[in-house]
Amino acid sequence: MSKITSSSTAEYFAKNLQQVGFSSPSKAVLTTLKEAVDNSLDACEDAGILPELEVEITKLGPGHTRNTDLVQIAVEDNGPGLDPEELAKVFGEYLASSKFGRGRCSRGQQGIGISAATTWAQLTNASGVKVISKTKNMRKAVSAVIDVDIKGNRGLVKKKETVDWDKSHGLRVEFRIDGRIVLNGDGGLLTYLEGTTLVNPHLSMRYKLIDQEPVNIERVANEVPDIPAATLPHPHTMKLGEFMTHAGLYGKISLENFFKKGFSRVSDTSIKEIAKKLPKGLMVKNLMTVKEDEFKKIYTAMHEVELVAPSTRSVLTVGEEGLSKSIQRLGEVDFFSVVTRKPTICDFKPVVVEVAIARFKDRGNGPDGHEQPAQLLRFANRVPLQFDKGACAITRAVETVNWRTYGLNQPKDSVPTGPFVFAISVTSPFIKFKNASKETIDGGDDLIEEIRRALMQAGQKLSRHIRAEGKAADLERKISHIEKFGPILVEGLARIVGAPKSRIEKAQEGLRKLLGRDASHAEKDLEEATSKLQILKAREAKKLGLPDDEELPSEAVVEEHENAAADTPDDETPAKGTKKSAGTRKKK
Amino acid sequence: MAKARIRELTKDIPKEAKILCDTMLADLEKAKRPVLEAVKCALDNSFYSPKVGYLTPGDKVVKTELNVSSVQKMARTIFLLEVLLGNLKSGAVNTKREIYYISKGLMKSNPTYKALDFDDQPESDAVIDFICDMLEVYREEMNCFANDRGGQTYSKNLVVTETLSDGTTAVVDVGSLGTTPFQPKNKPQTFRLKPKKGKVDFCLVVESEGTANTLVTNGMHRRHNCIIIGAQGVPSNGVRGWCKTIEDQLKVPMFFYGDLDAYTLQNIFRTLKAGSAASLIRNSDFSAPDVKFLGVLPDDVKRYDLLCYSVNERDVAEARSLKKAKDALENDPFFRDKKNSDLADILHWLVKEKKRCEQQAVFSVDPKDPLILEKVIVDKIKRKSYV
Repeated sequence: MSKITSSSTAEYFAKNLQQVGFSSPSKAVLTTLKEAVDNSLDACEDAGILPELEVEITKLGPGHTRNTDLVQIAVEDNGPGLDPEELAKVFGEYLASSKFGRGRCSRGQQGIGISAATTWAQLTNASGVKVISKTKNMRKAVSAVIDVDIKGNRGLVKKKETVDWDKSHGLRVEFRIDGRIVLNGDGGLLTYLEGTTLVNPHLSMRYKLIDQEPVNIERVANEVPDIPAATLPHPHTMKLGEFMTHAGLYGKISLENFFKKGFSRVSDTSIKEIAKKLPKGLMVKNLMTVKEDEFKKIYTAMHEVELVAPSTRSVLTVGEEGLSKSIQRLGEVDFFSVVTRKPTICDFKPVVVEVAIARFKDRGNGPDGHEQPAQLLRFANRVPLQFDKGACAITRAVETVNWRTYGLNQPKDSVPTGPFVFAISVTSPFIKFKNASKETIDGGDDLIEEIRRALMQAGQKLSRHIRAEGKAADLERKISHIEKFGPILVEGLARIVGAPKSRIEKAQEGLRKLLGRDASHAEKDLEEATSKLQILKAREAKKLGLPDDEELPSEAVVEEHENAAADTPDDETPAKGTKKSAGTRKKK
Repeated sequence: MAKARIRELTKDIPKEAKILCDTMLADLEKAKRPVLEAVKCALDNSFYSPKVGYLTPGDKVVKTELNVSSVQKMARTIFLLEVLLGNLKSGAVNTKREIYYISKGLMKSNPTYKALDFDDQPESDAVIDFICDMLEVYREEMNCFANDRGGQTYSKNLVVTETLSDGTTAVVDVGSLGTTPFQPKNKPQTFRLKPKKGKVDFCLVVESEGTANTLVTNGMHRRHNCIIIGAQGVPSNGVRGWCKTIEDQLKVPMFFYGDLDAYTLQNIFRTLKAGSAASLIRNSDFSAPDVKFLGVLPDDVKRYDLLCYSVNERDVAEARSLKKAKDALENDPFFRDKKNSDLADILHWLVKEKKRCEQQAVFSVDPKDPLILEKVIVDKIKRKSYV
C-alpha cells in the first residue's frame, strides 16, 4: 500500500491554479490584474480613501513557456498600505484573509487570489511579486519581493529594503508572469477595466496597456461607499456542523443566550417556540455541556420554527445616481436606464440587484453589417465576471426576458442585439459561485426572478426612448411613402385604364390630400411621444438631483420597487450613491 | 401558348382588372380612399360540408384601404397586376420566381420603380396571391405557375392524353415508361385519362416519394392493377389537381399512405382531401374529396407492433405540431365535421398518446421481406382498414 502523505494548502493550489483563474496564459494576465485591483479597491474602501489607481501592463519579451510573453502587471494605489510584517502573509500565504466569513460585501473573501498570482509568477518566472508599501506612519517605503513557500504555505520576504517614495501612503505591486495579453472581447483586459470603472463611480484610474495611449478616467462620485457592517448569521442559513462550530465560539452561556447573542432574527417569541419543541430544561442548559444528539434536536427544532427573513442591512449598492454618471464614462451614450432594486432575500441570503442598460453611439454593427449581440457586463460584489457566460444566473435572466416588448431585437432565448451595454450587478455577502475562480453566479429561481424584475423595470423605461424614436421614424417613413409610392400608384392605374393626363393630375392631387392628412396625424403622435419623454426625463433628473438639461441623455429609474422580502423597515439599506459629479473619459 | 384551361372561367380577367383600376382612379380623383377587397383566406373564414367535399370560403373579406401604411402595398399590387396582365395579353407564362426577377429587371431599368423593389421573393409572392384572391382567379389563370414538385406517377394501366399549345395532342402510355415516372404539370386538369385495359383497381398516394419508388422498384405496379403516386410531402397544386383529375376521370378508389402524426394528417392529408384555408378559392379544382386515409393508423401500430417515437415536447417543431393538432380539433371545420370523426379520433389519439409512427416503420414487421409494405397495404385495402 502506498504511503499517505499530507499536503499544504499552497501545494494544493500550486498544482491546481486553473481552479482559481489561471487556466490559460491570457486568463493568467487578467486574473493577476483583477486580484491586484480588487485588493487595492477593498483596502481603500476599508480605510475610507477615495481610490486612485495606476495600472500598467507591459510586454517585456518572450515568455519562458512556449507561445507566451513575459508580461509585467503593475498596480499602484493610494490605499492605506501594508505594514512590512504583513507583506509575507498577504502575498505569500493562502487563506490568510481579513475578510473570510465575515459576511460583508467585499470583493475578496477567502485570501486565495493574490497568493495564487504570486505562485503563478513564481512558477513561470522564478520570482514572486515585487511590492512597495508605505503606511501613513512610515517615513520611508518598504520594497520587497515576496515568494510563496509552497511546502509550508507561508510567505518568504526577499530583497527587503527601504526606499524613498513620494506617496504619503499606498501600495505598488509588480508581477512578472508568462502570459498573453488579450485586450478586447468578453475576457479582455479592456472589458475588465471598463466594467470596474462602471461599478466604481468613486474610482479614478490611469491605465496604460502595452503600446496603447494611456487612458485617464476621472471619478464621478466623491464619496467612498459606506460598506455596511456584517450582521450576525441567520440560523436558517447554517448547516448542522456550522451551527455546532458556531456554538463552540460562545463558551459558557446558556442555549437561550446563545440564540440571542449569536444570531440575527431570533426574537424572544421565536426562542419560546423553539423551547416548546425541545426537552424541558435544554434551553437553559450551559452550551458547553450540550451533547451532539442534543445539538441535532436543537438544530431540527430551530428549522421548524418560522423566523423573520435574514437582514438586508449588510448589502451594498452602487446606487442609481452613481451608475447614471458612471455609465457615461464608457463612451458616448445615446440614452440609458438604470435600476437599483431594494435589497431582498433570495435563497435566504440578502441580495441587491442593480441594472444599467445603455445604448452607445459609437458601438455599431459587426463587420458583416449585422447587429451584434449586446455587450453583457456581469458583476458579483462589484467585480466583473468575464468567463463562462452561458452558465451564469445573470445571463439566464437576460435571456429569459422578452426584450422585443421593449423595442429591442432579440433572437430567441438569447441576449438582445444592438449597440447596447447591459450591466447587471449582484451584491451579497454570500454570493454562491459555481467555482473557486468566481466566474459565474450559481443562482436559484429566486435570484433569477429578482434579476429579471430589475431588467424588466429598466426595459420599460428604455422602451419610452425607443418608442419616441419609432414615432420619428414612422413620420419620416410616411412622408417618404407619399413622395415615393403615390405617383407610381396613380401612373400604374392610369396605364391599365388608359386614362388621359387630366385624370392623372386630378388623381395625384386627390392622393396628396389623402396622404397629407395621415402625415399630420403622425406628426401629432410624434409630438406627443416626445413631450412625454421630456416630462419623464425632467422628473427623473429632479429625483436624482441632476440638472434638468435636455441634452442629458439620462434616464434613471426610481420606482416603487416590488419587493417580496419580509423585511422590517429598518433593514432598508438606502442606495449608497454619491452627490457630486465631474469628469468624463479622457485620453492623454 | 398556355391555351389549355383548368376550368371554364366565365370571367374576363383583363376586363375585371380594368374596372377595378378605373374605380380606384375615380376614387382618387374625388380624394376618396380606394379600397381593395379580397376573399379572406383563413381558417376562420373556411367552411366544410361533406356534400361539397372541400373547404369553401365564407363571407369575410380582407379590405385594404389606401393610407400611408398601405400605399406601398397598393402601388406594388398595381405594378404586378400590370406585369401579369401583360403576360395574359402576350400568352407568356412564368413562375413566381421569374415574375420576381421580371419585376427586379423593370425596377432596375426604370428608376421610378426603384421604391417598389422587393427584398426577396416571398414579398412579390404575397402580392401575386393577393391579386389572385382579389380577382378570385387561380394563379395559373394569370399564367403564373409554381415549380413542378411531387406527383411522380407509376402504373401499367394508364394512358394520358395531353393537348399541347399548338393544338396537337401527345399520348403517353405510363405503363411503357418502366420505372421512370410520369409527372403531371401545373395544369393536370387539362389531361385526358383512360385505363389501357378495363378499369384501374385503386390509386395509392404515398407521402414519401422514396417509399413510392421502393414499391415501384419492387414491382407493385406490375403485380397490381393500380396507380402509385409519390406526393413528396405537402402536395403541391400540381399533385392536388392531378389527384382530383384521376378521381374525376377514372372513378377509382384513392388511398393515401403516410406517417401517423399530426403534421401528415393536417397539412398533407387534409390538404389533399379538402384543400387548405390558404387556397379557399381554388379548393374545388385542387382537392380529391374521396381519398381515404389508409395509414399508418393507430390500429396498425397495435396490430403490427410498429415502432413509435415519443413526441418530444421540448422540440419546438414537434410541440407546435401537437398544439396545432389540438387547435384543429377545436377550430378546423374539416376535423370538426361528424363525417370526419374517425380522422378527428386519430388526432385525439396522437394528442393523448404523444406518439408518432413513420410510414417506413412497417419494414420492421418482417425485416427480411422486401415486399412487406406492399403486402400490408394490399391487405389493409382488402380488409377495408382505412378511414
